[in-house]
Amino acid sequence: MRIASVATFFVLAVLGGMQASLVLAADPDFDRTIAPILASRCMDCHNSGAEKKGGLDLSQVKSAEAGGDSGKVLAPGKLEESLLWERIAKGEMPPKRPLPENERAAIKAWISAGAKWGTSPIDPYRYSTATRAGYDWWSLQKLVRPEVPRIEVKDADWKKNPIDPFVLAKLQARGLVPSPKADRGTLIRRLHFDLIGLPPSPEEVEAFTKDESPDAYSQLVQKLLDSPHYGERWGRHWLDVAHFGESDGFEYDRMRPNAWRYRDWVIEALNRDLSYDEFARLQIAGDVLRPGDPAAVTATGFLVGGAHDSLLPKGDVMQKIMRQDELEDIVAIVGQTFLGVTVNCARCHDHKFDPIKQTDYYRLASALAGVRRGERSLPPQGAPVELADRREKLRNSLAAMEEPVRAAILTEREAAAKKMPAPPKAYAHWDFDGDLKDDAGRLNGEAKETARLEKGELFLDGKSGYVSTAPLPADIKEKTLEAWVRLSNLEQRGGGVITIQSLDGSYFDSIVFAEKEPQQWLAGSNFFARTQSFEGPKEVQAKDRPVHVAIVYSADGTITGYRDGLPYGKPYKSSGPLVFKAKESQIVFGMRHGPPGGNKHLAGAIERANFYERALTPEEVAASAGVASRHISEEELAGRLEPAQRDQRKKLLSEITDLSQQLARFSEPKVFACTPQQPGEVTSLLIRGNPQAKGEPIAAAGLSVLTTSGSEFGLAPDAPEGERRKRMAQWIASDKNPLFARTIVNRVWQYHFGRGLVDTSNDIGFSGGPPTHPELLDWLASELILQKWSLKELHRTIVLSATWQQASLPRKEAVALDADNRLLWRYSPRRLEAEAIRDAMLSITGQLNPAVGGPSYKDFRPFEHKSAQFYEPQDFVGPEFNRRSVYRMWARGGKNPLLDTFDCPDPSTATPKRGATTTPLQALSLLNNSFTLRMADDLAERVKREAGDDQSKQIARAIELAYGRSATDLEISASLSLVEKHGLAPFCRVLLNTNAFLYVH
Amino acid sequence: MRDEVVRAIGIPGEAKDAPPHHPAKAKRVIHICLCGGFSQLDTFDYKPELAKLHGKPLGGSEKPDVFFGQIGLLRKNDWEFKQRGKSGLWISELFPHIAGVADELTVIRSMVAESSSHTPATLHENSGFRLNGFPNLGSWLSYGMGNETDELPAYVVLPDSRGLPAGGTNNWSNGFLPAQHQGVMFQSKGPVISDLFPAREISGDVEAASRELQAKLNQLDLEARGGEGELAARMKAYELAAKMQLAVPRVTDLSGETADTQKLYGIDQDATKDFGRSCLLARRLLEQGVRFVQLFSGGSFGSPRINWDGHEDVKENHTREAKLIDQPVAALVKDLRQRGLLDDTLVLFTSEFGRTPFTQSSADVVGTGRDHNQYGFSVWLAGAGLKHGLAYGSTDDIGWKAVEHRTAWHDFHATVLHLLGIDHTRLTYYHNGIQRRLTNVHGEVVEGILA
Repeated sequence: MRIASVATFFVLAVLGGMQASLVLAADPDFDRTIAPILASRCMDCHNSGAEKKGGLDLSQVKSAEAGGDSGKVLAPGKLEESLLWERIAKGEMPPKRPLPENERAAIKAWISAGAKWGTSPIDPYRYSTATRAGYDWWSLQKLVRPEVPRIEVKDADWKKNPIDPFVLAKLQARGLVPSPKADRGTLIRRLHFDLIGLPPSPEEVEAFTKDESPDAYSQLVQKLLDSPHYGERWGRHWLDVAHFGESDGFEYDRMRPNAWRYRDWVIEALNRDLSYDEFARLQIAGDVLRPGDPAAVTATGFLVGGAHDSLLPKGDVMQKIMRQDELEDIVAIVGQTFLGVTVNCARCHDHKFDPIKQTDYYRLASALAGVRRGERSLPPQGAPVELADRREKLRNSLAAMEEPVRAAILTEREAAAKKMPAPPKAYAHWDFDGDLKDDAGRLNGEAKETARLEKGELFLDGKSGYVSTAPLPADIKEKTLEAWVRLSNLEQRGGGVITIQSLDGSYFDSIVFAEKEPQQWLAGSNFFARTQSFEGPKEVQAKDRPVHVAIVYSADGTITGYRDGLPYGKPYKSSGPLVFKAKESQIVFGMRHGPPGGNKHLAGAIERANFYERALTPEEVAASAGVASRHISEEELAGRLEPAQRDQRKKLLSEITDLSQQLARFSEPKVFACTPQQPGEVTSLLIRGNPQAKGEPIAAAGLSVLTTSGSEFGLAPDAPEGERRKRMAQWIASDKNPLFARTIVNRVWQYHFGRGLVDTSNDIGFSGGPPTHPELLDWLASELILQKWSLKELHRTIVLSATWQQASLPRKEAVALDADNRLLWRYSPRRLEAEAIRDAMLSITGQLNPAVGGPSYKDFRPFEHKSAQFYEPQDFVGPEFNRRSVYRMWARGGKNPLLDTFDCPDPSTATPKRGATTTPLQALSLLNNSFTLRMADDLAERVKREAGDDQSKQIARAIELAYGRSATDLEISASLSLVEKHGLAPFCRVLLNTNAFLYVH
Repeated sequence: MRDEVVRAIGIPGEAKDAPPHHPAKAKRVIHICLCGGFSQLDTFDYKPELAKLHGKPLGGSEKPDVFFGQIGLLRKNDWEFKQRGKSGLWISELFPHIAGVADELTVIRSMVAESSSHTPATLHENSGFRLNGFPNLGSWLSYGMGNETDELPAYVVLPDSRGLPAGGTNNWSNGFLPAQHQGVMFQSKGPVISDLFPAREISGDVEAASRELQAKLNQLDLEARGGEGELAARMKAYELAAKMQLAVPRVTDLSGETADTQKLYGIDQDATKDFGRSCLLARRLLEQGVRFVQLFSGGSFGSPRINWDGHEDVKENHTREAKLIDQPVAALVKDLRQRGLLDDTLVLFTSEFGRTPFTQSSADVVGTGRDHNQYGFSVWLAGAGLKHGLAYGSTDDIGWKAVEHRTAWHDFHATVLHLLGIDHTRLTYYHNGIQRRLTNVHGEVVEGILA
């Protein structure tokens, strides 16, 4: 049974030599020894806050000396008279968990020696203790480049690379010697899987083993670092850390069809060795730092890769909790990925193990509070010019044909417009001149919260104000909503202008601004039941003048938008107009639907508004808006063209549509990325993490413990959203931030060696334990900065080290001293990861489709069941599905059973380090999965093609391909009988299941 | 490292060698998970006062924070309640068969949940967290206790024959625990476990010769690699896989069960045959040493309903759903008892939350459906270490909010672990900065239900 052992924890902490141990002195140092005990054992209850149990506050000298409700608790020098000691000695305090013996002894010694106080009030984080880290914790200290140890080295190979003396020094101290260098064949296979995740071909192996040039190995390293497959391999590592998923998870688990662009961005950025600091900054705030750059906007996919519950309950309390849960996930991912600290542990209280206060959590939360998941359009990229040119020409031809006809029609209309029809009669009309009455007298409004009338307009603050009317007296099916509206800002998302809704707000149709897409008018409805994009132009004027907006709901379900009296974008067909029942429905202004709260409120002013109980025609809308309609219907236009012209026009239209579809792939592509909420909300500290218990407002800032890197941003709590993230990105990805460089070098080291210098690569705080080679870690961190944050240079330094090139064979004397190889006396053999197994199979059979990037392949059949998305695994056949595993669609509910058994992580949880389990289910998948069987067939086919009819040669070729080395005579003779009796394919299946294929040495 | 490998492949005897924190009452668990939220008011929480208030408004100043935001008038129970067995436990007519085993049940009537949204609430019910990505009770037990058999997975999932619950396989994710602790789904159609047998026919001769060669090549490799422990462990895993190929068809073949047994579980009737098979299979799995079997009653959400989510009409909904499971569940309890298995087995019968005493309708109407209720609902346990025939805790007069012995999922989980000999604060796994627990930082053992 695996149970956390407090004892082990202790021993590790003390062995690490990182923190003050509780070795007892006659007169213990208060700050170093006593304060941490009081802080961690007593002050949860006996503090200066609201708790102050028994009236006792042990956090400062005066109150501690004054005592509590039972009188004084400390009698300096007189142990037996001290109530504090009495309660501790009897085991009554702290309740439930009595003090460990050493702490008890410390308190005893302290009181006996006079109970002298140190710093007051107690700062619990002043020093690290045996149970938690303080300000002096190693990873928080300024980064100073350590000297490379000067030790005697006999082997010339161990002199060249600065990593090696660090490792050798530790080995020597334990009386160990390193292993010899691995042979060339082993090295090339190891290096291939390590850097590009694919095996070398037999020809590459042969060339390398025969290459006698002194720089053969470094040339190979260079070649692999330059390979486009490098980014695929290391990108997958990064996606594990980013908990990148391509569906929402939770009940609906909706697909995110454009999330792959972030995956491609990661791969591409790594391939071109984008400096790691910029790599980080763009993922936190690329959209703010470089708004015009599609790649930078795409990078923010990092922030939104996690799971998201798209099913919102009505209840406000629950919504707030869900929001805070989601925010915690985002704060966690940023903190763990870039800083190696678990800031998220401080959401409800100060961090139990690291010097991170609860306010620190909310400082980071404030910086990230505007992050919302969603699709956004990327700035247009270069589409092939010829396509656009051709469309332009076709459009011109079309215009040349239509223009005269249109002009004629419009001229006639304008003539008629002089006798313009009177505007249609509204069912209800509000002009907001001094009151909220409906001119028709039916639907008088009532101002709620902050809604107010000002200069003949209904003014709405976007936070809580709205107007609701009396219930509608009759059932309403067809309808038209219309209003003249000014917006306070164009960045707002989701406010409703005029709404018809059921009294409780659960059903509604509404004119909504920018809920799904920024700056777009939209027909909002309950759960988007009748909502699609009009694909209208972006609203840019409504801030400067009132614009006229109308939405018409026709009996056949068609929904048509209008702006300034003219059609807005394209109408679309919905499931049909919802019937709003008499007496159970009403009109609302300034709020998408009830109940109030969230992003439903509009910030702006409504000049006047109309409601019609029928669907207006385009002409009627135009008349109401006061403009002559410029809408010319198809019939009207076609009716005036010659038959030949009509045919010609049809052809032109069809070609234009075709070209537009082609162009759509290039222009304004969509990406699943950060779609920030504007303006940024003010973050407040939540007492015990409870969204109902708001504390003080908190401005965005960094971790207060990192004083060397200046953790204040100088921003107000209501600073613009983008500014907050930008400052956070700059603060995190800085030379001065010691956590930033230390975290990434440890992470990279882990992937090269199978284990980090600190075991836990998402946590270099207290719980992560001390590093095995602290100086080496710091040297690597400072070297990374010197090398301008080049990850490829870091890889090169590591794989060129003698340490990394050691052979993997276990050695008895070394196993006895260091079975886990923490001191690096050999290269630890490793099983291939799930993706590497699959990719290697595709590679050795010659079936791998090496295409880089693009939309994900789907190895499942997606189906919707009762509005939830499901993904049924499928083994599809075809080149599209023979791409590298990093390109599969990573849907949360759509796991690939083969990859899954081999520890492919659940993308809902950040996975800094893959599991490497060995299970019978893995054996079953690898033996029986249709993919493996197909791969075995393909390998057999390839071998027959390449090795001819001789069975020994066939066996030798297959082994060469699968193992990356020549077959031994024993292997060939052992295999012959199976091949003779049953053919090559069963033999190939065996090979794919052997350890020599599955392990890297 | 070596140790991990040994654990990972489930060396026989591992679980019984492992030290429990205290003597265990139970060794294995069946969890019957009702999706959608069954109504406590119509099943196990008898509220005569509610019947008196039928048709009245809720009253009071609090506006309930319910999922769909509609608060209709109070509605009485749709099924009559009776006192059952020697214990006199109140159980409604909705579950006549389960009522027949009343004296085996330990009902907690004062459960509270943290969410009224299905998926977060279900995740919480099973993993202690409202979010995706945390290991389930079954995974924790597999990790903490290992398995008593090396021929079958430690954590087996039997989904409803109508479909997977919302979230699909996410519901039995191992989260951050090693992969072997994830739930393994036994499918009722097609291959029982995916990849149990070759995707296409391979003859016995070929299979045998292949395994033999594989072992030989691995042996050569092992010798060349200095006897590397992990390589030996993988060779062992292939031997276990072969055993599993024999064990799974054996355990899932119900034809050897007597006609009486099959009848007891309702396998002879259309309505009960699917769930009856699952319940019988669950018993057989436990007999073979599987640690945790999870049965789902109900699939995903939406309309038409195929689970307990009775928003529109509780009577219609619960009548349909209860008919499918009532007899099989009761049969399972009886069968476990008569075979002596209930002495060291736990049966859990839960749903993610309950339903409201007022209907989901306009304010002045007694509707037919009830909304989600996270503030008070009922679950039951049966088996080892429990006070049987007990109703523990209570809700207010109308069955809305738990008032006496409020019990959270963390308390429920702490209690289940306790019965299995595990201190819930000590079953931990380090993940991203925290020694994670099933009970997060909460949980008190519900002493009041322990024998």
